[in-house]
Amino acid sequence: MRVAGLALLGLALGCSEPEPASPAGPGTPGGERPLRILSLTPNITEILFAMGLGDKVVGRSTCCNEPPEARALPVVGDTLHMNLNQVIALKPTLAFMITGREEVARGLESRGVRTVMLESDTLPEMFDSIRIIGRETGREDAAGSLVARIETDLAAVRRRVAGLARRRVLFAFPMTVGSARIMVAGRGTFVDALLEVAGAENAYPDRANWPTVSPQKVIAAAPDVILVHAVGDEGAPDRLEAIRRAWAEWTSIPAVAAGRVHILTEPYLTIPGPRVGLAAERLAETIHPQLQERSP
Amino acid sequence: MTLQPLSARRYACTVLFWLALWLLVAAAALVLGARVWVWESSAQLGDALRDALYGVATASVVGGALALAGLAFQALLRNPLASPYILGVSGGASLGVILSSLFVSVLLQPIFGFLGALVTVGTVYTIAQRRGRLEPYTLLLSGVILNAFYAALIMLTMSLVKPETRGDIAYWMMGNVSRFDLQWGLVGLVAVLAVGAAVVFAFLAKGFNLIAVGEETAGALGVRVDRVRHVTFVVASLVTGAAVALTGPIGFVGLIVPHLLRMLLGPDHRRLVPASFFFGATFLVLANLATGLLEGAVAPFPPPPVGVLTAMCGGPFFVYLLRTRWRRTAEVQ
Repeated sequence: MRVAGLALLGLALGCSEPEPASPAGPGTPGGERPLRILSLTPNITEILFAMGLGDKVVGRSTCCNEPPEARALPVVGDTLHMNLNQVIALKPTLAFMITGREEVARGLESRGVRTVMLESDTLPEMFDSIRIIGRETGREDAAGSLVARIETDLAAVRRRVAGLARRRVLFAFPMTVGSARIMVAGRGTFVDALLEVAGAENAYPDRANWPTVSPQKVIAAAPDVILVHAVGDEGAPDRLEAIRRAWAEWTSIPAVAAGRVHILTEPYLTIPGPRVGLAAERLAETIHPQLQERSP
Repeated sequence: MTLQPLSARRYACTVLFWLALWLLVAAAALVLGARVWVWESSAQLGDALRDALYGVATASVVGGALALAGLAFQALLRNPLASPYILGVSGGASLGVILSSLFVSVLLQPIFGFLGALVTVGTVYTIAQRRGRLEPYTLLLSGVILNAFYAALIMLTMSLVKPETRGDIAYWMMGNVSRFDLQWGLVGLVAVLAVGAAVVFAFLAKGFNLIAVGEETAGALGVRVDRVRHVTFVVASLVTGAAVALTGPIGFVGLIVPHLLRMLLGPDHRRLVPASFFFGATFLVLANLATGLLEGAVAPFPPPPVGVLTAMCGGPFFVYLLRTRWRRTAEVQ
C-alpha cells in the first residue's frame, strides 16, 4: 500500500515537471532540441573543437582554456565548485565531464541535462572518449577522422625515432612546497604511452597512475633524461630556477650529471586531446636532441 | 623549592650526556634513513646520505629550537602547559610565513615568521595580564582564541589563492622536515639562531629558576624580571618564527620535551636548557625516522608528515598533563 503510494507520488512529480527528462540518448542524436554542450574538462573541450563542434559548446570550466576560441565561452566554475544558476541559464542539453564526481553528474541529470562521464587517463581511454562524444553528438564520422588523424600523428613520431637508442626518461612534476615528494608519470598513463611513442622508456614503471615518490626513489630509478612539466610556472623565472637548482643537488642521477634535466612548460603535454601527437613530437625532440638538427 | 648548587662537573655531565644521545640517534637516523645497504654506486650512496642528512639536520635544529622556546615560555609564564604551538605563536609565525611567500618574498619568510610570532606573544601576554600577574587559564584561553583567529586568516588566504597553491599551503601546515629542494642556507640560519638561543637561555637559567618561585621573590633577589621577560620573549619568538619558516608548524615538541626532562632532571633550568636543546633535537630526529620507516609499510600511501605524528603524540600527552601535573601546581598556587 505504502509502496503503491510512493509510486503514485513519483509519477505525479514526474508529470508535474515542465520539461520531462527525456534526454537525447545514443539512439536519438541531437533529439528535437538543438544541441547545447557543456564541457567541464579541458581535453574534452579541445576534442569538441577539433571535431568541429565548437559552435555547439555553450559553457566551459575554469580550466578549459584551449583552443583560444574556447576562452570566449562563459565559465561555470569547475567540477568542485560549480555555479548551478549559471549552468541553468546556459540551457545545456548535454554535458561532458570527468569520472569520479557522480554527485555533480546526478545534479546535472536532475536538471534535465544528459551528462556523460569520460575517463581519458590512457591513450585507449582517450580514443574511446572521442568515439563516445561522436555517438552522443551524432558526429561519428568526425570522431573517426579525429582518431585517425591522431593515430597518423603518433605514427609519424614513431617513424622519426625509429632506430634511435631508447632512453630511460622520468616525467616529473615540480616539487610542492613543504614536501619531499614529487609526482611522476607512472605505468599506463597516456604520458607513459607518449614516452614510448617518443622512443623512450618510462624510468618509473614500478607503479601505475601518478605516484608521488621520495628523492631516494628517484635516485634509485637513475633516469637518463628528466622532463619536469612546470605548467603554470612559465611566468615565474625564479620558480624555474628553483626547480633547476633542486634537481642539481642529486648528482648521482645520470640525467643530472649529463645536464639532461629539461623543464617543459607547454600545457598540452599533459592534456589527453587532439594535440597528443604534437606532445609526442615535443617529447621526442627533447629526448633525442639530434632530431631537431635533422628537422628542416 | 630549593635548588642544589650546581657543580661544573655535574653541568658538564648533563651537557655531554644529552649531546652524546643526540649524536648517537642522529647517526643511526642517517644510516637507517639513507638505507645505506641498498645502493649500487658510491655516488648514489652520497645522494641518499645527503637526502637523509638534510632531514636529520633540519629535524635537529627545529626540534632543538622548539623545545627551547617551549621551556622558556613555561618558565616565564609559570605555566607548564605553555608551548609555541598551544600559545598560538606557531600559528602567528605560520600566517607570517604564508603571507610573506605569497605577497612579499620567499626570502623574507623567517623575518615575517618572527614578526608573526612576536605579535602573538605580545597579544597573548597583554590579554592574560591583570595587575602585573598572569592568569594561567586566561593565558591558555587567549592562545586558543588566537590559534582559531589565525586559522581563520589562513583559511581566508587559502580561499583566495589558486587551487594548486591551496594544496601546497595545506600540506605545508602539517609540518614536514624533509623536502625535495634542499634549503641548506635556511637550515644554517635556524641552527645559528637555535644555538644562540641556547646560549642566551643558559645565561638566563638562574633567573628562570627564581621566577618559577615567584616574580616578587625573584625581583627581591635582584633578578630584573622585566628584562629577562623581554629578552626571552624576543629570542623564543625569533627561533620559533625561523623554525616555522623552515618546516611549517610542528606541534607539541615544545610541550613534550621540557616535561619529560623535568620528570628526569628536576626543576633546575641550568640543566634543563642544554638538555632541552639536545633532547628536542633527538626527539624530532626520532619522530622523523619513524615516519620515514612507515614508507613502504603503509604502501601505496606516502608516509605522513612528521608534524602529524608529533601532534598525534602530543594531544594525549597534553591531556595527561592537564589531569595530573597542572592540577597539582594549580592547587598549590
